[in-house]
Amino acid sequence: MRSIDRLFEHSTRSLAQRTSRRSVLAALGRILTGAALLPLLPIDRSSRAEAAQDGAGAAAAKASAKSIDDPNSCEYWKYCAIDGFLCSCCGGSSHTCPPGTSPSPITWIGTCHNPADARDYIVSYNDCCGKTSCGNCECNRNEREKPMYRLSRNNDVNWCMANADANYHCSVSVILGVAEQ
Amino acid sequence: MRTATFNAALLCLFGWTQLFAAPPLPTEHLTVESLGPSNPHWIYAVDEAFYNETDARVNLFDGDSYRRLGQIDAGFNPGVNLSPDGKTTVIGTTYFSRGGHGTRTDVVEFTDNATLALTGEIVLPSKRANTLLTYFNLAYSADSHFLYVSYVTPASSFGVLDPAKKAVLGEVDTAGCVLVIPSGPNRVSSLCESGRLLTVTLDADGHEASRAMSEPFFDADVDPVFVQGVPIRNGYAFLSFLGEVHELDFSGPAPVIRAPWSIVSAAEKGHWRPGGQTVAAVHRGLGRLYVPMHRGGEGSHKSGGTQIWVFDMKTHQRMARWPLALGKLSPVIAIQVSQDDAPIVFAATDKSDVAVFDALTGQLKHVEKQLGQTTWFFLNP
Repeated sequence: MRSIDRLFEHSTRSLAQRTSRRSVLAALGRILTGAALLPLLPIDRSSRAEAAQDGAGAAAAKASAKSIDDPNSCEYWKYCAIDGFLCSCCGGSSHTCPPGTSPSPITWIGTCHNPADARDYIVSYNDCCGKTSCGNCECNRNEREKPMYRLSRNNDVNWCMANADANYHCSVSVILGVAEQ
Repeated sequence: MRTATFNAALLCLFGWTQLFAAPPLPTEHLTVESLGPSNPHWIYAVDEAFYNETDARVNLFDGDSYRRLGQIDAGFNPGVNLSPDGKTTVIGTTYFSRGGHGTRTDVVEFTDNATLALTGEIVLPSKRANTLLTYFNLAYSADSHFLYVSYVTPASSFGVLDPAKKAVLGEVDTAGCVLVIPSGPNRVSSLCESGRLLTVTLDADGHEASRAMSEPFFDADVDPVFVQGVPIRNGYAFLSFLGEVHELDFSGPAPVIRAPWSIVSAAEKGHWRPGGQTVAAVHRGLGRLYVPMHRGGEGSHKSGGTQIWVFDMKTHQRMARWPLALGKLSPVIAIQVSQDDAPIVFAATDKSDVAVFDALTGQLKHVEKQLGQTTWFFLNP
């Protein structure tokens, strides 16, 4: 027992000799400042906290980090309220229409959270039009989506409705900017 | 052993002799099948055909014999309804002149339900709302004198048609409110973002005579209602995302909004939710409400039910929970109940299998595999 006491006494004195009191305070300060800043980052956690308690949260938790970054996956972060076929699986990308189709000039907007940079982005969900359904990579996600009476937040209507060729082919999600809190 | 072999050979010979002696099959004449008299267990199952969306169709299915009886073509992203007497299926749809592309023609097509033959059409302005299937994409007035069609361009309005003369009578602006909820001989209500109901009354020519706004009955930010209202006695019920039931009585000159009631307990609220493409069905005679329910959070309002909950609409008490996993069914996204005294429930899964239940006991009677591609809506008289 005495030998253990001696060992701790030796190591403490040794640490005190190698470390200034100011450097310890500085390190502690850095940790405390970081902890204080974290809640100020622009993240809306309210919906996620609710979702986490339920099936949607569990499903999201299962989605691997890879699929959240994969534009061919329905779990891709930008697709949080997309409903249709992913243009990235139809010859386009997450923000470009496939060859020979036309983008819808009218659309609806949503906000999706990018876990990679912890920012919320405003995205525009456009449909690509003029050919029949792509039929590939169907994806139906509805975070903050609203029924048809709030049309600017609705993904049920055919947004190709005003195109010269109004047939629906696939859907994209285009970043419009960072959502300001 | 030798006797047995002999007997077998004799039997074989006898069989062959019989075969050669049998008269030939009669000649056949190609005709068209008749439907025969309808029964309350027939269901019009609307297949949106989402994977090749220009090819939607309505499958007429018999819930007793489990046979497909016929098909009605439904074009692109259709709205579908039945006439009040059940004798006509009316489909609002869109065709492109070259199949998947080309000039757009919006049209309402009428089908005689006794023969499944087309009987006429009305060409519309190219404004028909292309949206999910509800009772309110197009709908008849109670006396069948008018037919209303929801328009979204995205400005919202509705068309008034004369189904007898096959003519467009006019168009009424709805100031951002959507869909056509019919009541009486000449009233049309629409759902508004403010949570109110706009009701337009028409004159004898189908033009607007007056309009009125209700008080708000839901908050689109806090707890939106699904637009897929369900017919109840004297009106429609609208369920909210969180499970409130808003019953609207349209029997008077102005809609009466009854006090809402909940299908979830305080502990279940926000955790168990209705959802899917068709979110509920009501047996109007028995006053029973059938709702596919799932566990889910915000954004899960289109998820199918893992259970069907049954409620008494008078007492608001839950009568049963039917777990669908027992029948190895995937989540249910559309539901309907027949309106007779021995009712059956039709429930379409997210794989377009259609389960048939005894509506009184919950007993699973049959699963029709793949009744269509994306069956999202059922209609019955």
